[in-house]
Amino acid sequence: MDPSTLSSPLPRPRKGHVWGDRIFGVLVAGAGLFVIFLVFAIASILITQSRLAFDSYGLAFLIGTRWDVSHEVYGAVPFIAGTLLTSAIALAIGFPLAIGSAIFLTTEAPRWLRGPLGSVIELLAAIPSVVYGFWGLYFLGPYMRTTVEPILAKSLGWTGAFSGAATGTDVLTAGIILAIMVIPTIAAISRETLAAVPVAQREAAISLGATNWEVTRTAMVPYARSGIFGATILGLGRALGETMAVTMTIGNHDAIPTSLFSQGQTIASLIANELTNSSGPLQYSAIIYAALILLAISLLVNVAARLLLWRVLRVTGGTTE
Amino acid sequence: MNLDYRARRKLWSWVMSGLTAACAIAILIPLGDIIYQAVLLGGPVLSVSVLTSNLPQPCSPVNGIVCPVGGIGPALEGTGILVALAAAVSVPIGLAAAIFAVEYRGRFLGTAISFTADVLTGIPSVIAGVIIYAYFVIYDPLVVFSVITGTLALSVIMIPIITRTCEEALRTVPHSVREAALALGIPKWRTTLQIVLVSALPAILTGILLSVMRGAGEAAPLLFTAFGSRLGFQGFNNPIDALPLLIYNFAESPYQNWIHLAWAAALILILLILVASVLSRLAIQRMVRRMRGE
Amino acid sequence: MKRQTSRTAMYAVVAIVVIVVIVLAGGYAAGWFKGSSSSPSSPGTCAPPAGVTIKGAGSTLVYPLMFQWESVYGGGTAVNYESVGSGAGITDITQKTVDFGASDAPLSSAQTASLPATAVTIPESAGGVVPIYNLPGVPTLNFNGTILTDIYLGQITSWNNTALQAINPGVTLPTAPISVVFRSDGSGTTFIWTSYLSAESAAWAAGPGKGTAITFPVGSGQAKNAGVAGYVQKTPDTIGYVDLNYALNGGIAFGKVQNPAGNYVLASVNNTASALKDANPTLPAGTASWYNVSVLNAKGAGDYPITSLTYMLVYQDLSGAYGSALTLTAAETLVDFLYWSVTTGQSYSAQLYYIPLPANIVAADEVSIATLMYNGAAVPNSCGSSV
Repeated sequence: MDPSTLSSPLPRPRKGHVWGDRIFGVLVAGAGLFVIFLVFAIASILITQSRLAFDSYGLAFLIGTRWDVSHEVYGAVPFIAGTLLTSAIALAIGFPLAIGSAIFLTTEAPRWLRGPLGSVIELLAAIPSVVYGFWGLYFLGPYMRTTVEPILAKSLGWTGAFSGAATGTDVLTAGIILAIMVIPTIAAISRETLAAVPVAQREAAISLGATNWEVTRTAMVPYARSGIFGATILGLGRALGETMAVTMTIGNHDAIPTSLFSQGQTIASLIANELTNSSGPLQYSAIIYAALILLAISLLVNVAARLLLWRVLRVTGGTTE
Repeated sequence: MNLDYRARRKLWSWVMSGLTAACAIAILIPLGDIIYQAVLLGGPVLSVSVLTSNLPQPCSPVNGIVCPVGGIGPALEGTGILVALAAAVSVPIGLAAAIFAVEYRGRFLGTAISFTADVLTGIPSVIAGVIIYAYFVIYDPLVVFSVITGTLALSVIMIPIITRTCEEALRTVPHSVREAALALGIPKWRTTLQIVLVSALPAILTGILLSVMRGAGEAAPLLFTAFGSRLGFQGFNNPIDALPLLIYNFAESPYQNWIHLAWAAALILILLILVASVLSRLAIQRMVRRMRGE
Repeated sequence: MKRQTSRTAMYAVVAIVVIVVIVLAGGYAAGWFKGSSSSPSSPGTCAPPAGVTIKGAGSTLVYPLMFQWESVYGGGTAVNYESVGSGAGITDITQKTVDFGASDAPLSSAQTASLPATAVTIPESAGGVVPIYNLPGVPTLNFNGTILTDIYLGQITSWNNTALQAINPGVTLPTAPISVVFRSDGSGTTFIWTSYLSAESAAWAAGPGKGTAITFPVGSGQAKNAGVAGYVQKTPDTIGYVDLNYALNGGIAFGKVQNPAGNYVLASVNNTASALKDANPTLPAGTASWYNVSVLNAKGAGDYPITSLTYMLVYQDLSGAYGSALTLTAAETLVDFLYWSVTTGQSYSAQLYYIPLPANIVAADEVSIATLMYNGAAVPNSCGSSV
């Protein structure tokens, strides 16, 4: 490895320097390789330790609908369903709100408001997940139980999605907590991509007599579309793996949710609740297997999101400008 | 007719503006309520002695019992120790990886590192706890719940964040600076450490600060590692408490004095984040000013 | 100017590094790096010597009481208990990552089989479980085992059921349907509750059965005691179950349950303690299986019927505990703590609404603890907290 190269021609360094450069190069390259190694280490630990469950169930684990500790039957469907359902709720609620506020921040808000408001939304992203969970447990959950869920049951109960007792600790509450948590992620990156729309693009629309909203709709959003899409997938990634807030609000029940008022369990909350509390090696191994599924899903989602965003925002690591 | 159409479009534009503003307001409501409730419930408990005292024995004020307030000293100490150690592990690695990705640009490996770090930041934090637990439960079960494993779990989360933020920071340093230094015959490693790194220092420190705050607020990876303890620091091979763990453990207890302490801990975490975000903003401003040569 | 700023920043970094090094060095000197297991063994001195910390893990049900014990025993630093849950307590003792485990349910035969060595089961406390309900205008309500089972089986579905009305004369019961609430997470509370339902009804025993996390035929789940209690308190027409100590601590009203003597009893620490005494189960040896020990449905006139023991688990030969690296000193401390907790420690039960152990169980515990060994020899109990 000869790190002492830069694209422009330079005078050769004096001889004594070569060793310093070499050692330095090896050190930083080692650290860089370590970051890549981390991914493989994570995957290999999960793969080796889920071996027992994999040998017992194979891929049928992915379609096993029962998780019954007392009968030692383990299937991942309740948690995959819980994870996907809560994330879907999170995006259904969070996406419009996040995009709306991103548009507000880039085009509608008065200039003096943009900076502070942007910071506040970023602050929303920095609040620890366990604090969201605590708040969900004491305030959002009871509010859902007493106010929101009875209304939903009354008006939309016929759909079947809102059947059962309104408990306030259920899939819906967890989904809403997740929505609150993914909004800053989606909003911040969407805002960035919207702000990256060339001024000429907007000016062209304005010069054609477009109203404010028409400029946004015809000139900006289409241009930023893939960035917004990437931001949304990134938000999805956060929702899929969120642990504490979900664990504290979803009710922790190892069964497939039958309505939005059902208690459920996501893969992450399963891990939090049962990893150290497993009743035997098979359950432990099955939990690690579930963790492996979560890793696979979140790797997929994150790689997709990053590929999209790198293209849009052009913040690639090796080839800026 | 024409005017009517125009007016309709104008009106529509107004309505949509209003809607976007409503979105922005709507997403602030939970933030406002969280801070409000934390101040309301945690504020009255907060005092200097709460920050230093040991956890109180569980107690609820039924039948006129006066409960000890106690404190969150062990958790605060634990968070400090865990985060400091995790930073000590992850800053050198993350920074070095960032240097490789930026200063040795153009190589496939550099791009791969940035990309991997980016993807790693999106991996659920609970996974970090799982892999450390899963590794130690087999290879060194005696330290499964300890400062060591807690530090490692937090490091797994912090390394990619530091790598990414330091990368961004290093990239703000103009090329001309590097070229000038190299042209003077200064070797690359000294150029990088003494010139590039130093110019980017405020942004680097901001990145480190952000990752530290992220580490301080994480509970999921610590559930199976640092675990939590009633006692303060008891040696590196023993479990230790942390603020987020305390919140999680006390939130669902029936004891009034524990629940109040959990709110106090939540308030402290929120305040720490506020302070950190203000600090990092100041640092960025200073850096921008300096780069403009003011 | 620019150069100066960078210098200052460099110095700041250097200063931070230096401080960290100093703190770590100081910490080293202060013994931070030494753990419980590495402390030198000095047999014969009275436990607990400084620097020895016994690790325990398990039941969350018993955590507040353990917390109290830890805080009091040996100056507050001799024991460190982690409330990971009963299942985890058993896993941890199996994997030797703790010195003692704590579980609400005794070891099953499968769990015993997976242990690497002989373990001793030591009941250390007991708890009760109470039915809680929310019927506006009905401050007291009587239940019995049959009715509770039928409600939880979904066979009694409305509050004005004739059987329920029959044991609650003079009470105006609403026509509302009963909404049943259970614990959705695995817990010792569910174990005690479903053990009682199984004892009361063959249909329950054959169907849902007993366990820490079972499939309930009807109702909706809530996480933790807090979830069940919070939901029931705020939702009319519900019924649920929580730990007695939780209900008493939170000032939560609960129903009376009919005992085998035919009386309707409102649970308290006293009448649950007397139930433990009256139940007088045949106690197996410490090393035998406790799986079938039951203290449910004691025969005394005032006894509360729904109660259960909780247990501590240790290896009989302590030299094999904690990664097979437990020192003799630590073993002595552990033995002393065990003695202390089943004797002196019991006096802390009542204030936290736990049930103190009756004399016969304490006596059995002392016999079991006396069988503990270190490398095959009896562990000297030089401190003599008891005996």
